Amino acid sequence: MKNIVLISASPKIKDESVSKKLLEMAGNLIDANAFNKTFIDVRQCISHHQLLEAFETLSKADVIIISFPLYFFCLPGILTRFLQDYYCYYTENKGVRNIVKVYAIINCGFPEPELNLEAVRVIKSFSQHINAEFCFGLLIGAGPMMFAAEDAPFMKKSIQKLNNAFSTIAETLHHEHVTRTDNIYIGLNFTFSRQLFMFFGNRSWVTMARKSGLKKKDLYKQPYC
Amino acid sequence: MKALLISDKEFQTKTYQNLKSLLENFLNTQGLVIKIFEVGTDDLAFCMGCFGCWIKKPGECVINDKMAQINRNVMTSDVVIYLNPIIFGQFSANIKNVIDRYLPNMLPFFEIRPDGSTMHPPRYDTYPKSVIIGYGDMISEDDKQLFIDITKKHRRNIEVIIYDETPETMIEALTKMELGRVDNLL
Repeated sequence: MKNIVLISASPKIKDESVSKKLLEMAGNLIDANAFNKTFIDVRQCISHHQLLEAFETLSKADVIIISFPLYFFCLPGILTRFLQDYYCYYTENKGVRNIVKVYAIINCGFPEPELNLEAVRVIKSFSQHINAEFCFGLLIGAGPMMFAAEDAPFMKKSIQKLNNAFSTIAETLHHEHVTRTDNIYIGLNFTFSRQLFMFFGNRSWVTMARKSGLKKKDLYKQPYC
Repeated sequence: MKALLISDKEFQTKTYQNLKSLLENFLNTQGLVIKIFEVGTDDLAFCMGCFGCWIKKPGECVINDKMAQINRNVMTSDVVIYLNPIIFGQFSANIKNVIDRYLPNMLPFFEIRPDGSTMHPPRYDTYPKSVIIGYGDMISEDDKQLFIDITKKHRRNIEVIIYDETPETMIEALTKMELGRVDNLL
């Protein structure tokens, strides 16, 4: 049986993580009779000092799927730390497997999935550093909306594309002859106005601030002036 | 004028030492007062993605550590230079952590930029000139290009230099820049 390691790298501590949900969706489509599935939560791993165990698991993987949110157009610091330290572990340990397939699932808050492209290239570079084969990336725009508004009619097309993309990942894993190297882009299908999307998005920040006892003008504070 | 250097304690290689002394000499000759933050693995907590810096304590990170001091110094400097080891074509973990926690200096809202992409608007009217210098040994051409793309492709008003040629090339690039506060074009 092959080993698949699914890495969730959202920096969030309390709130629900979109990256984790996406990873679970991908993981659910992978046949448990063919793959031994292990989930790693990077935040939990670092908080509980379980990095060595995680690296040992990772070193035995045949497939690695990494899911994370875009932070400043590339990987969040917490995932960078994890991969940087794994690379040190990899170079110091000779028992690490060399034939590993790597996939990336990246979501950003902005509607444009293309913004995730450089982060995909970082995962590709990481793969090359550990002698692994990078397969492709799934680039998702407006990630949080995929779940916050998943039942809304205007989301139907995007959700369908998301499910198809996870099926594609599973297919390339289950059937050796099925290969794919092109990235998959999933954004919002703007059947409604983009201005409207931005209006509601902007209003949600004000609503959240009010719940913390702040007024709209407080959001514009300049503490370092 | 004030210049702030931010570097990674974890990668204080010979290349880094040369780069740092080159920069210090250059900035001194330009009459800038230099302050340095060398950031180590245990100095900063990771961003929690809580958005507290937008909706609970606008403009300030809610985590109580050295980052408050770094952000204050960033925003009150004229030039900020990040000395960054290139790892997998992007920032090292320590520098990326500093960048992630720069988020309070922007506003939460969405705005559309001239290239049609979405971005968070600036919080302040002006910002320090940001220069990001990537360094390392045996960095592939692909990783260098990726580092430039990550830094420049989606941002305006940021300069990037790869320190892998002669010191003169870097000084020439720095000399061409106007070192001082810039407009809020993010």
